[in-house]
Amino acid sequence: MKLLSYITLILIGVACSSDKDNYVPIENEKLEFTVPANFPEPSYDITLNPPTQKGFELGKKLFYEGQLASDGVIACGFCHIQDFAFTHHTHIVSHGVGGALGTRNAQPLHNMAFMKEFTWDGAAIHLDLQPIIPITAEVEMNETFNNVIKKLEAQPEYVKLFAEAFEDQKINSDNMLKAISQFMIMMISANTKYDKIERNEGSVFTENEAAGFELFKSKCASCHQGTLFTDQTYRNNGLPVDLQYNDIGRKRVTGEETDIYKFKVPSLRNIELTFPYMHDGRFKTLDDVLNHYSDGMVDSETIDPILKNEDGSLGIPMTTQEKLLIIAFLKTLTDDDFVNDNRFSEF
Amino acid sequence: MKNIIILFAFLVVISCKNDDEGATKTFGNIELNFNNSIDNTPIVLEETSYTNKSNETYTISELKYIISNIVLIKANKEEFKYPVADSYFVINEAKSESKKITLNSIPEGEYTKIRFGFGVDQSKYPFESGTANFIPTAEENQMLWNWAAGYKFIKFEGMYTANGGSNTDFLIHVGSHGTTLDNYQEITLELPSALTIEKSKSPEIVINVDIAKIFDGINTLSLEQKNSIQVDPVYAPKVAENISTMFSTGVSN
Ligand code: HEC
Ligand code: HEC
Repeated sequence: MKLLSYITLILIGVACSSDKDNYVPIENEKLEFTVPANFPEPSYDITLNPPTQKGFELGKKLFYEGQLASDGVIACGFCHIQDFAFTHHTHIVSHGVGGALGTRNAQPLHNMAFMKEFTWDGAAIHLDLQPIIPITAEVEMNETFNNVIKKLEAQPEYVKLFAEAFEDQKINSDNMLKAISQFMIMMISANTKYDKIERNEGSVFTENEAAGFELFKSKCASCHQGTLFTDQTYRNNGLPVDLQYNDIGRKRVTGEETDIYKFKVPSLRNIELTFPYMHDGRFKTLDDVLNHYSDGMVDSETIDPILKNEDGSLGIPMTTQEKLLIIAFLKTLTDDDFVNDNRFSEF
Repeated sequence: MKNIIILFAFLVVISCKNDDEGATKTFGNIELNFNNSIDNTPIVLEETSYTNKSNETYTISELKYIISNIVLIKANKEEFKYPVADSYFVINEAKSESKKITLNSIPEGEYTKIRFGFGVDQSKYPFESGTANFIPTAEENQMLWNWAAGYKFIKFEGMYTANGGSNTDFLIHVGSHGTTLDNYQEITLELPSALTIEKSKSPEIVINVDIAKIFDGINTLSLEQKNSIQVDPVYAPKVAENISTMFSTGVSN
């Protein structure tokens, strides 16, 4: 009788087994995604693409993989360099395959999980889709998804990594994009002096930094808002239009005349490292930026109303001393741990 | 002993039920046949001239559009949602094989309606798992924008003349952009007669697509007025609205 029940159990097991059941899962640990105590909830739905050790590893390898480009060289990491909070900083506008010039300054990559839309004008509305732009754009990586997939399939290392990272074990665009996102959503920068003060971790502002913070709150934080230092809207901050590019900004995405020359309010985290500044990299230093805010603005149909003063003048009035204080504060937004974090480094 | 064997057989069946429900159901296939036409005549690219209600004469060089999210509906409103990841297609007038879509493993039954999407539903971002695998197909068909992360829902191009003037190019590329411009359309069609799905039969649903409606549907669009419609908050939604009326079911022949 006992024997019979054993047989029964075995038979049940056999009857139900399919290829899927026979497959022994490889160790693929889930990674801890921790929202810093002073951060808002992420916009990225982590439950739909929970980062795992293998997925992250694969995403990182893809991020630094030249084969994602037609020339086998220009990886994501070529334009997004860790030392500069993942911007491309030797160049004003980005350089792609064959030295092709883009028209915009590469954005820093940090805290992507907390952003709702991507690029300077919001041309990508989900992080998983963002890489479609650089991979296929002629002036960036100039490649096709079919080719990329073929190139990856030819490398045993990738066959193995995809199989370990994803349940269906396949090399395809869905898994590729998910892996790259897993890498990017783990790139959280939240260990600046500013953060440590906000979280009461024992740091204190110097007198100058504290004065700069007060000035920042009254003059800048209406747009560079909250802990992410952006309200994630699109605005025109009064830059004179560069006729070489005539970049229409947000209008490219909405088609609306009222959106012309508006760009996404950028986060100011790691701002000390991410020069040159603005969507076209026109300013080399933070001094230049603050001089723009005080004296450099030009009027236009879409300039942000906040920047128009009651007496009809444009700009944010600041003394030289106040500018220095604001810059002192901005430098407390540099996260050395982040730019030195080995988890994100190529080697 | 007999009891035990029965119990045992019962257990085998029970224990398998969850992961293999299909064992108890029957499935069939359906073929969707997209029939692009103007004035009830199949489109001939490049050669044939057509005239719209604004009295403009045009020829078509390219006609492609995306169909997605196919759902079959029974009289009792029960829906069968075709697996989303496999439910994205590019219909390309220049490729006859692209105009026939075979749907596999449809549960047996009588269906009275079909619903599908024109374009890609961006409100459902992030996509359900697997749907990004449509990217390479869309890319091969030039249905991706190169500057934005999204799809062209339709690519409709050609030449036109108005009032005996000279030949001018026209170009209509409509998609959704950002979070403000959503041109995805959902289309529900009554089937001409209830469609019975059963094993080893592949009935056909003919979808007639009246391309003339792109210009003359709910809205009348004149090429003289606008011969290039892309990211356009005024005209693109009008095109999309017209497109939502261009599909009807026909009887297979
Ligand atoms: C040729 C240089 C270049 C390459 C290569 C490149 N990028 Fe970028 N990246 C840019 C530029 C420039 C922007 C800003 C684009 C814009 O606003 O139109 C950007 C923006 C982004 C953004 C949006 C950031 C934000 O804050 O909205 C993400 C995410 C991103 N890139 C990820 C990637 C990934 C992943 C890859 C590889 C698949 C990659 N990039 C390859 C130059 C590049
Ligand atoms: C009206 C909203 C607004 C206000 C107020 C504002 N900014 Fe900006 N800021 C923007 C926008 C929009 C951009 C991006 C503009 C572009 O590239 O075209 C920007 C860009 C910047 C950049 C460049 C960032 C980068 O990654 O290139 C810095 C630095 C900056 N602002 C600092 C400040 C400081 C400091 C203040 C206060 C003195 C301030 N901003 C006030 C909207 C604003």
